[in-house]
Amino acid sequence: MQEHETDIEGAAPAAPSPQSRSGLDLVGLTKVFPGGTVAVDDVNLHVSHGEYVVLLGPSGCGKTTTLRMIGGHEFPTEGEIVLDGQSLVDLPPHKRPTTTVFQHFALFPHRSVLANVEFGLKMHGVGKEERRQRAFEALDMVGLTPLADRKPRALSGGQQQRVALARVLVTKPKALLLDEPLGDLDRLLQLRMRVELRNLQRQLGLMFIHVTHNQEEALSMADRIVVMNEARIQQIADPLTIATKPATELVARFMGDNNIIRGKVTERDGDRLVVEDEEHVRASVQAPGASQKVGDEAMISVRAAAVDVDPNGAAPAGGLNTAECEIVFVEFLGDLVKLHLLTGGERMLAKVGAEHYPALRGREGERIAISWKEADVQLLDA
Amino acid sequence: MSSSSTPERIGDETALVALEEVEEVEALEQPRKGEAALGEAAAGAGGSGWVTAALAAPGLLWIGFYLIAPLVIIVLVSFWTFTDAGFERTWTLDNYSELFHDSTYWDNMLSTFLTSVIAVVACLVLGFPVAYFLALKVQSLRIQIALFIIALAPFWTSFLTRAIAWTFPLMGREGALNQILIKLQILSEPYQEFGFSTLSVRLAMIQLYILFMITPLFFSLAQVDRHAIEAARDLGGNWWRTFREVILPQTMPGIVIGSIFIFVLTMGDYGTVATVGGGNITSVGTLIYSKIGAVQYPQGAASAVLLVIVLMVGVWVITRFSNLREEL
Amino acid sequence: MTIQTMAQAAEAVERPQDVVVRREVKQRFDWAKLGLGIYFVLFLLFLYIPMILMGILSFQGDRGQLTFPFRSPVSIDWWKTLWDTNLFNTIAEDVSASGRQSLYLSLLAGVLVAVFGFMLSMAFRRRWRFRLDVVTFFVLMLALMTPAFLVGLGNQLLWRFMGETPSLYWTALGANVIWGIPFSFLVMLAVWNRYDRHIEEAARDLGANAVTTFREVTLPLVWTGVFGSFLFGFTLTWNDFDRTILLQNGYQSQPLPILIGTWPSSRPILPNLYALGAATTAVTLFLIFTVLIVATLRLRFAGAPVTRKAEELGEAEGLDTRVTGS
Repeated sequence: MQEHETDIEGAAPAAPSPQSRSGLDLVGLTKVFPGGTVAVDDVNLHVSHGEYVVLLGPSGCGKTTTLRMIGGHEFPTEGEIVLDGQSLVDLPPHKRPTTTVFQHFALFPHRSVLANVEFGLKMHGVGKEERRQRAFEALDMVGLTPLADRKPRALSGGQQQRVALARVLVTKPKALLLDEPLGDLDRLLQLRMRVELRNLQRQLGLMFIHVTHNQEEALSMADRIVVMNEARIQQIADPLTIATKPATELVARFMGDNNIIRGKVTERDGDRLVVEDEEHVRASVQAPGASQKVGDEAMISVRAAAVDVDPNGAAPAGGLNTAECEIVFVEFLGDLVKLHLLTGGERMLAKVGAEHYPALRGREGERIAISWKEADVQLLDA
Repeated sequence: MSSSSTPERIGDETALVALEEVEEVEALEQPRKGEAALGEAAAGAGGSGWVTAALAAPGLLWIGFYLIAPLVIIVLVSFWTFTDAGFERTWTLDNYSELFHDSTYWDNMLSTFLTSVIAVVACLVLGFPVAYFLALKVQSLRIQIALFIIALAPFWTSFLTRAIAWTFPLMGREGALNQILIKLQILSEPYQEFGFSTLSVRLAMIQLYILFMITPLFFSLAQVDRHAIEAARDLGGNWWRTFREVILPQTMPGIVIGSIFIFVLTMGDYGTVATVGGGNITSVGTLIYSKIGAVQYPQGAASAVLLVIVLMVGVWVITRFSNLREEL
Repeated sequence: MTIQTMAQAAEAVERPQDVVVRREVKQRFDWAKLGLGIYFVLFLLFLYIPMILMGILSFQGDRGQLTFPFRSPVSIDWWKTLWDTNLFNTIAEDVSASGRQSLYLSLLAGVLVAVFGFMLSMAFRRRWRFRLDVVTFFVLMLALMTPAFLVGLGNQLLWRFMGETPSLYWTALGANVIWGIPFSFLVMLAVWNRYDRHIEEAARDLGANAVTTFREVTLPLVWTGVFGSFLFGFTLTWNDFDRTILLQNGYQSQPLPILIGTWPSSRPILPNLYALGAATTAVTLFLIFTVLIVATLRLRFAGAPVTRKAEELGEAEGLDTRVTGS
């Protein structure tokens, strides 16, 4: 199973959407570097205008290469890139209606802020007066007008990023490509910029394609998330689905705070399977369309936040959708508590509200029972 | 990754795996290690190979004509004979056998070699404190660079001027050295042998070439992590131990490069020996020059070839002291 | 010991740091720095004294000789012989002819070194198809390490073999340029190292084609390296002796270093030689120190970056999201 396109209801995998006349289409996009390494393998994606799409994945998964191919800074080995019905593959970057915001901003250090912003217009032959005026408009939009004469090295990281934004927006692209735009910023500024960048996009109504390895950032900003790993798409869905119904092991692992149980199918009853692992932890899951039979290997995942903990409860033996664990560490995180648990040799995680902390504190080494609902169990593809 | 434990945070395993993958893909998207430090030019059109060749061609061709071809010719000529009518291209080993049986030639080679070794060692010993001071003791980067350039400036002046100073003004019969020694009553009358002597040649060499040792040392030392030094002191090392165990190993590349420079430059030197030695002192260089002057091209060429062989052997020996390739 | 008993044991002991001591702590004086600093100054003297000496000696009066002490009052008589053709001991003609020769050769060499070094470094940073980079590296190392004298010798033989005695512009220029290219290459490597390739991509992204990108973005950012390369080429050629000595043809003026270096065998040695030497040295030193001063001044006016603290505290401004149009 290579790719999943699930919509909000988590329907069955669909075929790649046909090329539409409007929006961006990636069809069978593949990149093989000289030397044989496959960086991007058969990526299919459709992005509509006005949509905020985030390419998410661990470093090296191909997300940046994909972005660079859309922008024209890398050439696909196979496949098509079509924007509003026009093929982009043969166009060099400066002829494409896309612009890129680079990770370290890539401002021209020898030019002033104003000259940086004017650059794109100058390249397109816009006259001096109009150039200045449009550049100042863009600088107003990002709130940097008083700094127009400064050089980039005299600016802070956040200010540099805003210059980078103004520089690309002034050319009125059809799609904005952002390569880890928030990576160079300090943490609190990062958090704030997420909100503001997203708002900016909404107001502009522009297609944004944003690459990041930060899960929180993706969840917070995206209309849809494309999770990639090892050159392939793992899952495409809106943030809620990605967070609550990961489709593959990689997505479950990468998003974090998921308990993954590997075992064999011990029962099958229509759409309902029961999976049991070596520690005899058993979980049941509703998986319409699953192909596993009794005796096959299977993997399921349960979100840590969906795991219930009863601090004072007893430990039932060998039940379904429950497990007995030893508390390894009680981690207090301000708003919530993460319980690091051990079942036999397996590590598990439960997240509960901060109000449980007094009851749990200091109980490392004790045994405790956890449980979850069948509805919260996901069957994973490998 | 195949364990069934659940990563609670993206920190642990995923990050480690991610790091390796980053390096892998970055290694793909950037040129090989040697060029990685240079960054990569974005490939414009698909014909980047041709542009690269066009960029490299002029320089390489120039070097090919003005360096490679001359060296080849030297080797060829060493096997020929030369008469009034020009080069006679019959292959002969006479030139070499003449040299091999010429004991003065070997004496000369040996004394030049000795001078070379002395120069390398002296430059190393005298130059190391300078590099150390600049790299590790001066705090401000700006002052570091300013002092470094001040120290480096003489290198760009005419070495000849500085060489001449080692003849009459400093070392001559009425030169400064003699006068000072007389004033200090160490000598009662001028010592003739200071000037135009092996001593003055060696001193001049040190002064003229020491900057070729200081520069690599400076760059090597500048890269030593000061925190590592502090950590070593913290763990109980005294100055000498810290130096030997922490600083010196990291400086080896600089020492090797500097030594190679000085060895090659002093073995092959002509101008300094000719000027400062004033005809009293011979080196391999002056010998070759005199052979050329006597229109004995093949013998001169053969001497040159032998010099090159000695140089290659010497460089090879020096590089045994450090795996230089890795450092580069 | 378990963690708990270790903690108990620690609490039981009165620790030295619990006792409050009032004591002035002085910075430990860095003797090493002082010692090395003195050594450095002595070293500089060692390097500069010959030149200074020669400079001083050149100011002797007309009965001056080659060494100390001064035998006549300080004067610039010997300096005058460098340019005044009417004086008795004049060497003005030779000096001006040689000076011009050196100047032209050096200027040309500087330009060639800068161009070749720049192009080679540009080629080096792109992806190589045929592993040419290894060859280039080896060749450059060879150019750096081959004794100057041998290069001169080889070139002389080469041309003699071809039966010609060409002008210095065909021989000496070439030999000097190859010595300068490795230096230029190393300088450019350092420059490219600091250079962010994404800037070029950004320029392309915004509509610049390859030529425009090079002119507007690349060149302004690396021109210091190119200029440094030119300086390298210039000064190395201006001061070269070993390379050029064997390449003298009879019919062209000798470059200055050759004039100085072959002086003793053909002319009476007089303090005007010192003046000449001092003059050539002064040119180079002047160049270097001007560049140094200019560079430091430029750095000083660069402008300090905004502190990160405001951003770290989350107080920095964000985007103005009350967009009025797009």
